[in-house]
Amino acid sequence: MATEVLMPRQGQSVESCIIIGWKVNEGDVVTEGQALCEVETDKATFEVEAPAAGTVLGVFYPDDADVEVLKVIAAIGEPGEDVSGLRPETSEVSEQTSEVSAPEEKNEVAAPQPVISDLRSPTSGAGASPRAKKLAAAKGVEFDVLAGTGPNGRVIERDVAAAQGATLSPAAKAKAVATGLAAPGMGTGIGGRVLAGDLSEVAPQDIAAAVAALDFPGAVNEIPVRGIRKLVAGRMLDSLQSTAQLTMNTSADARTMLDFRAKCKAAAEARGVGGITINDIVLFATVQTLVDFPELNAHWLGDKMVQFEDVHLGMAVDTPRGLMVPVIRFANRLTLKQLSAEAKRLALAAIEGTIEPDDLSGGTFTVTNLGAMGIETFTPVLNAPEVGILGVCNVQLKPVMGKGGEPQFIPHIGLSFTFNHCAADGAPAAKFLVALRQNLAAFDVLLVK
Amino acid sequence: MATEYDIIIIGAGPGGYEMAERAGHQGQKVLLIEKAHLGGVCLNWGCIPTKTLLNSAKHYVHAKEAPEFGVTTGEVSFDLKKVMAWKQEVIETLRGGVAAMMKKSKVTVLNGEATLIGTRKVEVEGTVYEGTHVVIATGGSPFVPPIPGADQDHVMTSKEILSIEEMPKSLVVIGGGVIGIEFASFFSSLGVKVDVIEMLDEIIPFMDKGQAKRFRAALKGKVDFNLGCRVTAIDGHNVKYVDKTGEEKSINADVVLMSVGRSANLSGMGFEEARLDFDRRGIKTDEQMRTNLPNVYAIGDVTGKSQLAHSATRMGEVALNTILGKPDRFRMNAIPWAVYSMPEIAGCGLTTDQAKEAGFNVETATLPLMMSGRFLVENGKKGAGQVTVVKDADTDVLLGVHMFGAYSSEIIWGVAAMIESELRIEDIKEIVFPHPTVGEVIRSTMFQF
Repeated sequence: MATEVLMPRQGQSVESCIIIGWKVNEGDVVTEGQALCEVETDKATFEVEAPAAGTVLGVFYPDDADVEVLKVIAAIGEPGEDVSGLRPETSEVSEQTSEVSAPEEKNEVAAPQPVISDLRSPTSGAGASPRAKKLAAAKGVEFDVLAGTGPNGRVIERDVAAAQGATLSPAAKAKAVATGLAAPGMGTGIGGRVLAGDLSEVAPQDIAAAVAALDFPGAVNEIPVRGIRKLVAGRMLDSLQSTAQLTMNTSADARTMLDFRAKCKAAAEARGVGGITINDIVLFATVQTLVDFPELNAHWLGDKMVQFEDVHLGMAVDTPRGLMVPVIRFANRLTLKQLSAEAKRLALAAIEGTIEPDDLSGGTFTVTNLGAMGIETFTPVLNAPEVGILGVCNVQLKPVMGKGGEPQFIPHIGLSFTFNHCAADGAPAAKFLVALRQNLAAFDVLLVK
Repeated sequence: MATEYDIIIIGAGPGGYEMAERAGHQGQKVLLIEKAHLGGVCLNWGCIPTKTLLNSAKHYVHAKEAPEFGVTTGEVSFDLKKVMAWKQEVIETLRGGVAAMMKKSKVTVLNGEATLIGTRKVEVEGTVYEGTHVVIATGGSPFVPPIPGADQDHVMTSKEILSIEEMPKSLVVIGGGVIGIEFASFFSSLGVKVDVIEMLDEIIPFMDKGQAKRFRAALKGKVDFNLGCRVTAIDGHNVKYVDKTGEEKSINADVVLMSVGRSANLSGMGFEEARLDFDRRGIKTDEQMRTNLPNVYAIGDVTGKSQLAHSATRMGEVALNTILGKPDRFRMNAIPWAVYSMPEIAGCGLTTDQAKEAGFNVETATLPLMMSGRFLVENGKKGAGQVTVVKDADTDVLLGVHMFGAYSSEIIWGVAAMIESELRIEDIKEIVFPHPTVGEVIRSTMFQF
């Protein structure tokens, strides 16, 4: 009896994963625990391991397929075993690949492109999506003579819609059938009639590239929006559209924390504090300050607000796959040393792509730090439904009037705090910043709290 | 306080008044401004009066030829005064028709000279009118080249010669284009000695070269064609020119018609001040008749795209559709043209030479109009005329039809429909033509391939 290889469930919120690439082929002999393929959720990548030793009898989904969790993606067993019963239905496989592009066109799949239909002879064999078939049936369009604009030339809904809208002149029809050229949804002839000259030799995606090149001469690299980029884009837009966010800027005397950090660095290695960074100190101070401002350690849900007793602190991390926000659980219960270690662990996992999906959700407040890049002030975008996000900026020297009336230059760390005005008013938000400023300025006092 | 209109149209020629009528019919509030008479050049000094004169000439010729067809007439004479009175009656009847049409479409007609101010305002005699869209349809005027002696009274343009009070004994026509050929035909039919002096090697530049030669042959004895000749001066009644070989020659004539071309009416209407983009040929527009100024359109002769009344009308329709948000474009490839000479000339699409130049694998077929029973019946055995069909041998698509002979002008529209539909010769063969007609010869010619 062959062993099923399932698409594993990665956290409660993950419904499907994309197969980035298979590391084995059908017929390969594998050992238990050997990596079979690499898969990607919206938030992380991980490897699917062989649940048993044996021969790979079937690989059921191609690279780039988006597969629901707990589906059988492969089978391992003795050579010759029948695994057809485990294989998903063909239409299901092609349907799941329809949303993603074939590997060879990875960098040039156009998202919005001119709608093109095609009377190419029915040889492409890439099939049609169920929605396309449904529309084709309703409109009386023969979808199998259309050349699709979907992945691998698959006929998708818009191809059917376009074919239905286009009237081809007799000459255009003859030319399309004879040459396999593609027809646009609307031509340049009478009433939008497609004329022979409107047929085009290049693939629809190339037309999109060519059109883009008209406006922007030079090579064009089109990148499909998906995965983390798509998720971030959706969340950012949603955040800006669904909240009344605004940003306040201030700065805090950084002398104490800079001194402290210098001391940590200089401390004996056995104390294990050498790795404490300015960011860790700011995270710690933020968490300790937030405890006194429950209205900002909260979620805004439109019809209600949820305030949290504990601080689960999200921290923005720039990773090769894009922005990720791992969450430090119960950050308010951690010592500075513990907080620093946890922050380091999560950041590393996020950068390496090994982070658990559940570590990427459930934050109550977020800190994002661009200070290392020399940013002086910015407007962080809320990680909705969280009510606040603190932007940490660089350390600058600021002139301050000394006791004798002479100016002194004192290092200050910039703070840009965005909050949702739906959930909190300006005065409490400003009070939070004032408290944070004081806590950062007298950071050592916080440690004895 | 400026009055608000949806569309302000400057110029009430066949571009302007037809557009005004269609726009009014669509419920648009339209202001139509005309400095002279409703109907523009076409109705008052062009298409219509020339056709009136030519019709009288045809009656004269038919009456003289009547005995050949068994009808005995008395002495046939041509009463120029009565002809001119009938011409005036026709003009006034049609002007009245246009005025009634404007009234029915609720178009406000304003008599006066317009000045464009900015992109939405037009001033007429001190009053500023404001429109959401402004359409420039100011037409064109006869171009008089700076030839010494061209300013004499007996040197006329088409406008003056239409009001000639006395039949000249001889006429020199400078310029063998459409206007020159029509007047040459008119006067020669009435026994006036006519010489045409044309700078190019052939008359009517867009006519099929072979047919032009045959057409000239049909006028042999009535009109002398001096091709490739350049007029250098008009010394009294002597028109001096240099022929192809460089020899200086001279023709004496009572009247000289200057018909070397027409130029766009561009000056004195504030176009430059409004920063409209135009050059000597006309106002630059796109396929939707939009100018460089937002909300400002240009149609007809003033665009320099095509100097035909029906082109102007079509351009007006495209502009209106564009204003109303309906996709449309001004296509140039199937605009039929006609010369109402005796015999008539008409064409649509590419000539053999044009098609070759455009890179088509050209195939042509020609038949004499004498193939038509009706043509023989009505024109006699010496009736001149032929049809040439031009097709793309690779695709069998009809590229053009060119013909001369009686009724050509009434037949040619069908070719426009065929070319607009991008029909192939094999498709057209399925269309039934009535019998006996002259138009049948087009169909018969298709069977020659």
